[in-house]
Amino acid sequence: MTIEECYAALGGNYGDVLGRLRSERLVTKFVLKFVDDGSYKLLCDSLDSGNIQEAFRAAHTIKGMCQNLSFDKLASSSSELTEALRAGDEAAARKLLPAVVSDYDNTVRAITEYKNSLV
Amino acid sequence: MMIMQKKRILVVDDSEMNRSILADILDGEFEITEAENGLQAIDILQKESEDFLLVLLDIVMPEMDGFGVLEEMNRLKLIDNLPVIMVSAETASSQIERAYELGATDFIIRPFDASIVHRRVVNTILLYAKQKKLISIIEDQVDEKERFNSLMVDILSHIVEFRNGESGLHIQHVRVLTNFLLTKLCEKTDRYPLSETDISIISIASALHDIGKIGIDDHILNKPGPLTDDEYVIMKTHSMIGAKILDSLTMYKDNPLVRRAYEICRWHHERYDGRGYPDGLSGDKIPIGAQIVALADVYDALTSERVYKKAISHEKALEMILDGKCGAFNPLLLKCLSENSEDIRSVLKKPDVNVSRREKRGFNDVLVHSKAGEVASDRTLRLLDYERMKYNFFAAMTEEIQFEYSMATDTLTISPLGAEKLGVEEVVVSPEKSEKLKEIIGGDWFRSLIDMLEKSTPEKPEIRHEKQLHCNGEYRWHNIIVRAIWTDEIPPKVDGFIGKAVDVHDAHITINELKENATHDPLTDLLNRAEAKAQIERRLLNYPNHKYALACFDIDFFKHANDTYGHLFGDKVLKTISQKMTHSIRASDICARMGGDEFLIFFEYDTDINAIIARIFKSLCCNVDKFDVTISMGIAEMTSVGESYEELFHRADLALYHSKQSGRNQYHLYDDSMKNILAQSNITDIDVPTDKKED
Repeated sequence: MTIEECYAALGGNYGDVLGRLRSERLVTKFVLKFVDDGSYKLLCDSLDSGNIQEAFRAAHTIKGMCQNLSFDKLASSSSELTEALRAGDEAAARKLLPAVVSDYDNTVRAITEYKNSLV
Repeated sequence: MMIMQKKRILVVDDSEMNRSILADILDGEFEITEAENGLQAIDILQKESEDFLLVLLDIVMPEMDGFGVLEEMNRLKLIDNLPVIMVSAETASSQIERAYELGATDFIIRPFDASIVHRRVVNTILLYAKQKKLISIIEDQVDEKERFNSLMVDILSHIVEFRNGESGLHIQHVRVLTNFLLTKLCEKTDRYPLSETDISIISIASALHDIGKIGIDDHILNKPGPLTDDEYVIMKTHSMIGAKILDSLTMYKDNPLVRRAYEICRWHHERYDGRGYPDGLSGDKIPIGAQIVALADVYDALTSERVYKKAISHEKALEMILDGKCGAFNPLLLKCLSENSEDIRSVLKKPDVNVSRREKRGFNDVLVHSKAGEVASDRTLRLLDYERMKYNFFAAMTEEIQFEYSMATDTLTISPLGAEKLGVEEVVVSPEKSEKLKEIIGGDWFRSLIDMLEKSTPEKPEIRHEKQLHCNGEYRWHNIIVRAIWTDEIPPKVDGFIGKAVDVHDAHITINELKENATHDPLTDLLNRAEAKAQIERRLLNYPNHKYALACFDIDFFKHANDTYGHLFGDKVLKTISQKMTHSIRASDICARMGGDEFLIFFEYDTDINAIIARIFKSLCCNVDKFDVTISMGIAEMTSVGESYEELFHRADLALYHSKQSGRNQYHLYDDSMKNILAQSNITDIDVPTDKKED
């Protein structure tokens, strides 16, 4: 699997990220790093325990990372979730969460597949 | 591209990946320090804000967010000197606006473009560097202008004092005291809202308090005895005369200096209880400047000697003033006076330094803190003072000559003791052109030093070399260590240097003597055997294609001569032969005493070797005190490239044997027939060379 195919699979824009970061080495490095970031777990845990403030920050971080990496699909769903959490609208947030979960799983699956193809 | 000294950037973001992306973009040029939340960032900045060029700051973070960091940086007064670029996914204009209001320099919205981040970071750093440079240029200019202003005021006031038969010290004392008391007063109370600049203006204006005396008749002003009532009335008009002089400067009437001076002239003889002149003002109706100058005036009059009175001690003067014997003053002012009694004594001993530095600082505050009248902390100045004191102390303790050069002012400053040693001024303007320094260090010293410094690197900025300096009437060897000072520019330039010269003359001479002793024969001054061998081997290695020959000889029956005529005669023979040797060869050839009466000559030739040998042989045979000195010599030529010294020497030695065997007083060029001469030899002569046993 190539990095372009990985981006296609997770709904990202490889051309865009390469244009901004200017190096395939950097892009690859950070794509692989994405799966290690704890923000997603923090988001789920915080929502479970009803800590909306913490959940907001976690969602915001995910959104920021996705924007940096041009993971457009996850960036868009996490962005909506971030705004709901910023407004403190827990009900809306819970409605938006499944899309984020599905996009996140999809993203991680694509990256893992790409990673395995490297070996 | 390289930035000097501090090239650190602080990246504050809670996401490790975001920090890492920024770090990668800026990697190589900058040293990145990371903080994962606002509290950590503030913690780092409190300890080492001076080390950073820039902060990249996220907004949404746990513990303390980006706005919190900006607020804290405002509170710590870091925001003016340390640029902050916000990096955030926030796009709401209210958020961006808020960041700018809190002092952020720039705002980068995620997702960002690597080259734009890089460009903005570099631009911001350049801009700040430039701003700092400009501020310091303006500060210097303003400082200079203020000093001239203050000088003009001093001259003007001195005219009056001179007429009055007083020394110029009085106005200086009054000014220093005014400055000191005003500063203390403002620390103590908010009642008089004076800025640093106000204090500095009042201090300068204080020098003019008595200019009205210019209008008082000579015989009253300088009357030796006490004044009559009528005369006193006239004398008292001086305050109003001074005020009128200033008031008639129509063009400058609104100038702050003139306004303050007017108040001081007119009201410096008012009393806090309302019983003074000319207007009988009381309490704080008397402008604070006039109140302070009145007090300073009285204090200095008491503690100084005058024609009509002796000086009174500091303690006594303070007691008299506090007891109300010398007028009525503002109780707050009296408190400042008594509380700072000790400092007043010391501040008067080193007048003026404080004043000018305060003026300069006042301006810096105005420039940097243009938003509000905030006052920067005294800490930096105190640290600077402390460092200066430390430096002066160590400079006075050391024998080293310390120096410092600034390209901007083209001035070389030399430590006091160092300047005394060299016999030059402590401050030399345009040192490159100074004839005196050329005499001391040598004609081209400046250019070659700068050349060397420009070749040094910021990582390894020191250069060391040994040089002779002319000091105390003689040339002495010095070890000179110099370090370049680099600018903050990108790329950095050499902006000056600091360094020291340590006298290593005695050690240098000893080492040279040791070197000389280690390589030369003390009696004849020829090279010794080991040094000759080393030099010949170097020659053979460096010029393998040159034609060389080696000659060995010893003096016939030398032992016999020694035994018969004594060792002094023997030494004389050896010296004579040595001199003849050095005369008969070229300077580039090598001659050595190998030990005893045994000598060596190593020479290059390109013509007939026989003629050369014949000439040398002939010149060495001589007559010393009617004793005929003859020698036996053997010579070997190089036969092939890459031949060793040992081989050459061995063959010359064999040829020498052959000469001896054949009856001495002759020379032979080696040929293969001499190869086995040692085996056949039955020579028992004690003059046998010793080299063959070792070589």
